[in-house]
Amino acid sequence: MLYWLNVYRANLKMAIAQMLQYRFAILIWAVWGFVGPLISLAVWNAAIAARGVGITNAAGRTFGRSDFTAYFLVFMIFGHLTMSWDAFEFAFRVRDGNLSPRLLKPLHPIHTDVTSNIAFKLTTSAMLLPVWILLFVLLKPAITVSGWSLLLTLPALIIAGILRYLWQYSLAIIAFWTTRVEAINQLFFTVDAFFSGRIAPIALLPGWMGIVAYYSPFRGMGAFPVELALGRVPADQILPGFALQIAWLAVGLVVFRLLWSAGIKQYSAVGA
Amino acid sequence: MAEQAIITLDNLQKTFRVHEREAGAGASMRSLFKRTYKDVKAVEGVTFSVLPGEVVGFLGPNGAGKTTTLKMLSGLLHPTGGEARVLGHIPWKREPDYLRRISLVMGNRNQLMWDIPAMDSFLVNQAIYQVPEKQFRETLDELIELLDLSLLLKKPVRGLSLGERMKCELAAALLHLPSVLFLDEPTLGVDVTMQGRIRQFIASHNARHGATVLLTSHYMADVTALCKRVIVIHQGKLLYDGALEALSDLIAPFKLVRLDVVTEEIAARVKDYGEVTEIEGTKVSLRLPRNETSAVVARLLSELPVVDLTVEDPPIEAVIEQVFKEGVER
Repeated sequence: MLYWLNVYRANLKMAIAQMLQYRFAILIWAVWGFVGPLISLAVWNAAIAARGVGITNAAGRTFGRSDFTAYFLVFMIFGHLTMSWDAFEFAFRVRDGNLSPRLLKPLHPIHTDVTSNIAFKLTTSAMLLPVWILLFVLLKPAITVSGWSLLLTLPALIIAGILRYLWQYSLAIIAFWTTRVEAINQLFFTVDAFFSGRIAPIALLPGWMGIVAYYSPFRGMGAFPVELALGRVPADQILPGFALQIAWLAVGLVVFRLLWSAGIKQYSAVGA
Repeated sequence: MAEQAIITLDNLQKTFRVHEREAGAGASMRSLFKRTYKDVKAVEGVTFSVLPGEVVGFLGPNGAGKTTTLKMLSGLLHPTGGEARVLGHIPWKREPDYLRRISLVMGNRNQLMWDIPAMDSFLVNQAIYQVPEKQFRETLDELIELLDLSLLLKKPVRGLSLGERMKCELAAALLHLPSVLFLDEPTLGVDVTMQGRIRQFIASHNARHGATVLLTSHYMADVTALCKRVIVIHQGKLLYDGALEALSDLIAPFKLVRLDVVTEEIAARVKDYGEVTEIEGTKVSLRLPRNETSAVVARLLSELPVVDLTVEDPPIEAVIEQVFKEGVER
C-alpha cells in the first residue's frame, strides 16, 4: 500500500510539473471541456424557445429550460472530471516505439497514465473553477442538492471516471495490432456522446435508443452520476444503476487484462 | 564448480511478420484489399551465455539482430522460439522482480521526461524501483561525480545536448543498481570526448558494482575499451563468441606487413608479393595470408633492399568493420 502511495505521489508530482510547462495547451483543453455541453444546452434551449413549451418524453415527463440548464451544467463538470484521451497517446507510443521505456519499468504503464490523467484534471479543474462558478451564477440552474444525493454521487462519479478510463484504455490496446486507433476511438466517442447522455438526457432518447443507452456502459460513464446529483434517479433505480456501473467495470477489467496479455505479445517495439 | 551463468540463451528466435507493398498509388490501393506479408527472421537460433560481472560486446552490422535480441532479453519482445533466462527469470514474463534488477539503455530512446528536469524523473524511478533513500542519495552522488551531472539535473531535459542527455539517461538507468545492464548503442551520436567519458563510466560502474553488461556499439573504441569477450551475430545467426583478440584469427586470417625500402621504384615492385593496401613514397603496407606470412617475409628480405620491416596483426577495428561490411562466413 505504501509502495503504491509513493509511486502515485511521485508520478503525480512529475505529471503536474509537466502539465504546468504548457499553460496555453491546458487552457485549450480546458475550454474544450465546457464548450461541448454548452452547445448542447444552447441547442435544447433554442428548441424549447421555438416550441414555447418544454419537451415531454414518452413516459410523460416534461423537461423545461431550467432542467436542461441544470443537467448540462453538471454534465459539463462531471464530463470534465471523467474525460480520457489515452487511446490517442497510447497508439502514438506503440507506433513510434516510445512505449518501450515505459514497459521496461517494474510498473504497469497504466499507472503512469492514470496519474497523468489525474494531474490534468487537477490542474485544469483549478483553472476552470471560476468559469464553472460564473456559469452557475449567470444561468441560475434549478438544482436542489440533498445530502444523500451528494453522498451517492461521489462514488458514482469515481466509478464513472474509472469506467470510462478503463474502456478507453482497452480500446487503446488495440493499437498493438493495428498501430492506429483513431477511427475506433472516434466511433467510441460518437457512441459515447449519444449513450452517455452528453447530447441529450437519456430519458429523452427515442424508444430502443433509450433502452440501449440505459443498459450500455456509457450511462454509467456519464448520465448516471449527473442524474444522481440532480436527484433525478428514482429511489428504486439507484441500486440497479450502481450494479450496472460495477458490472461494466468488471467486464472492462476482464477485457482490459485479456487484451493486454495478448497485445503485449504482439508488440514489435518499433524502431531500433 | 563452474560459475553459474547469469544470462543464457538457447536457440532464441524472433520472426517479424511485415506487411509489404510496392511504391505508388496503385499498389497502395491494391494493398487496401489484398495484403501481402513477408516473414523476416531477425534472430535465427542464437545460443550463448554470460557469467556474472562480465562485460560482453554484442556486435554485428545493422539489421544483424542485436537490438531484437536485447529487446527479448529485457522483456520487451516475445520470441518466436527458443528459450532465455536472465537472473533466473524468463524475461518476457515481465515479472516486476525481474524488471527491478535490469536496465536497458537505448541510445535512440529516452526514458526521461522531456519537459522537466532529469532529477524529477530520477525521483519517480526511486519510487518505482523502491530504492531506499540512503542508497538513492549515495548512488546519485556517485553518478553525479562520475558523470559530472551536477549542473545538468536542474535543467529541463529538452534543453540538454545529446551527450548531456545520454549521461542523464545512463544515470536514470543505474539509480536502482541493476544487476544486468543492456546497453544498446550508448554512445550513439555523442562526441568523442563524451564517448570516452561514458566508456570510462561504464567500466568503473562495472568494477564497483559487479554488474553484468551486454553492450552493442558501432564505435569499436567502446568495444575495445570495455569488452574482453565479444559475440558477433550476422543475419540473425551467431558468428563468433570468444575473446576479442582471437576474433582477428578467425575473421581476418591475414597479417599486415609494413616495410620501408630504398627507392620508390622498389616500393612499386612490392605488389608482386601480395596485396598492397597503402603506398606512400618508400613506405608500403602489404596484406598477407596468415599462413604465408613468414615465407613471403623471408623472400622480401632476401630479394629486395629493405630498410625496415614489421609484421602486425590487423587492428581490431579493421577486423570488425570487415565483419560489418561483409559478414564473413565461418
